[in-house]
Amino acid sequence: MNTPATLNELLVVTLAREFRNDEVGFTGLATGAAAALFATAIPLAAMQLARRTHAPDLTVLLAGWIYNPDLARLDELPDAEFAEKLRDLPCESQSLDYPGSWPHRNGAISFGFGSGVQVDACGNINSVLVGDPARPKVRLVGSILLPEHFSQFGREYIMMPRHDQRTFVEQVDYVAGVGYPGGLEGRARLGLESGGPELVVTPKCIFDFDKVAGRMKVRSIHPGVTADELRAATGFDLGDLSGVPHTAPPTERELEIIRREIDPRSALLGYDMASAQ
Amino acid sequence: MSNSIATAEVERRSKVVSLQQAAGLVADGMRIGLGGFAIYQRPMAFVRELIRQRRKDLTVVGVTNSIEADMLIAAGTCSRLETSYMGFEKFGLAPAFRRACEKHGFDAVDYPELLAWDRFRADQEGLQFWPASGLGGTSLVELNPDIKAFDCPLTGKPLHALPATRLDIAVIHAAAADKYGNVIVPGFHNLPQSFDVTLSRSCRKLVVTAERIVSDNFLQRHARLVQIPAARVHAVVEVPFGAHPTSMLGRYLDDDTHWAQYIGAAKTEEGVAEYLKANVFDLASHDDYLDRIGGARLASLLQVDLQQ
Repeated sequence: MNTPATLNELLVVTLAREFRNDEVGFTGLATGAAAALFATAIPLAAMQLARRTHAPDLTVLLAGWIYNPDLARLDELPDAEFAEKLRDLPCESQSLDYPGSWPHRNGAISFGFGSGVQVDACGNINSVLVGDPARPKVRLVGSILLPEHFSQFGREYIMMPRHDQRTFVEQVDYVAGVGYPGGLEGRARLGLESGGPELVVTPKCIFDFDKVAGRMKVRSIHPGVTADELRAATGFDLGDLSGVPHTAPPTERELEIIRREIDPRSALLGYDMASAQ
Repeated sequence: MSNSIATAEVERRSKVVSLQQAAGLVADGMRIGLGGFAIYQRPMAFVRELIRQRRKDLTVVGVTNSIEADMLIAAGTCSRLETSYMGFEKFGLAPAFRRACEKHGFDAVDYPELLAWDRFRADQEGLQFWPASGLGGTSLVELNPDIKAFDCPLTGKPLHALPATRLDIAVIHAAAADKYGNVIVPGFHNLPQSFDVTLSRSCRKLVVTAERIVSDNFLQRHARLVQIPAARVHAVVEVPFGAHPTSMLGRYLDDDTHWAQYIGAAKTEEGVAEYLKANVFDLASHDDYLDRIGGARLASLLQVDLQQ
């Protein structure tokens, strides 16, 4: 009998069920334990699970340069984009230069994963600063590849390791990646004809979008989280949550694949945010 | 037939100069590109020499930047940074940059990552700008007067023009170059070395610091790896461990201990001033810097990489 699914495993299967065969999924290499778990490790495990259940031809693009790496060989997730551990990782192809082998403006990337310090009600993301841009309260790293993720990838999964009123805000202080301001029509007016965020994954729930209204809405609430808790943790109105289901749990078979084949050494999913806090 | 020019009346010019002379090519107020990527293979010895010579008001133009720009900002050498990422990856946020933005309104200009690289490609192609789709609605375009909106002349769709970098000078740190400036780029490289190659094609004045200036014979045995031919290079300096404390592909790993020292010091203005005094101003040369780091520490960073 398997032990119950962890939060990490719940998020892995939720994402894995989204991916279709023949797609290409892009992960950067996020740093910091919680960010690395959400933006890199969980996405990698989810793509591996999809490859074993229903999408055998899914391509994993790790750190923007390594195709279909043999992740089961890792004993821990590397913490640097060009670490020796990554350079030595068995894989199928390596993109060593820019421009490389994934022309993202020409439809090369089906989906990506992004994170930030703030996300807002219409799905804009911010990784640049908090406060006034001219004299920020907190200056962070910059937009990095998020503008491209939110406009030139087929779709984006927003991965937020923290879910509180500071991170889920009505309006971000800086738009690094564009959600649905004014809905799909609003995006079209900005010249954004495809792409955009698809889901927002947090420790408390899964959001999707009303893409006509241009507003984030709760798709499912994780087991053990109440609607009141969710409202208290979110800086914008969530509307009526009475009909919202719980996030569907992993099957026994999915758990077995994750634990035995994908992450046998807990290199990807070993970090437990709840016990770390 | 030999290609020797020993009997010719003129001799081919060596471009080898001292680190001091090379840094002297940079004038106050210039726009400068620094090779490498994020925390990898940055021309740190050159950066320290710029600081030692008290250069000021430089604009650093990059794709992803890290300790090389942070140290220049801490020293008052860099007053503007145009990039997509300014941080220390696994080591966290860039402390001097962060303080400069939060306390002093430092001029940080944000670009998207690959478009930041495309700006260099615009220079390479002799273009004034690089056209970009997909930027509408971002704060990057709203806050940056150098990015101009325009309509595609063929389809009428909204695009943005990102200015070429228009660098005055660029500096890279390479594993090996010859005295004429031919630079070997290992076959199994990554974006840090790829960016060096882009810099060599986008900037008309390229300075190369190299771990080793190699013989003509060695260079010619690796001709297929010479992605930067001598004609693109203005000056060459031999600087062993010239990327320290960042890593050097195939040669040495990053010096985590020294990164931690810098980060600890750079948390305060006083701390970073002491760091710069001890590691830059009080030292006469790069050799003195290596002595300060210590032979045992440097030896411990050496790696074996035969996948070249």
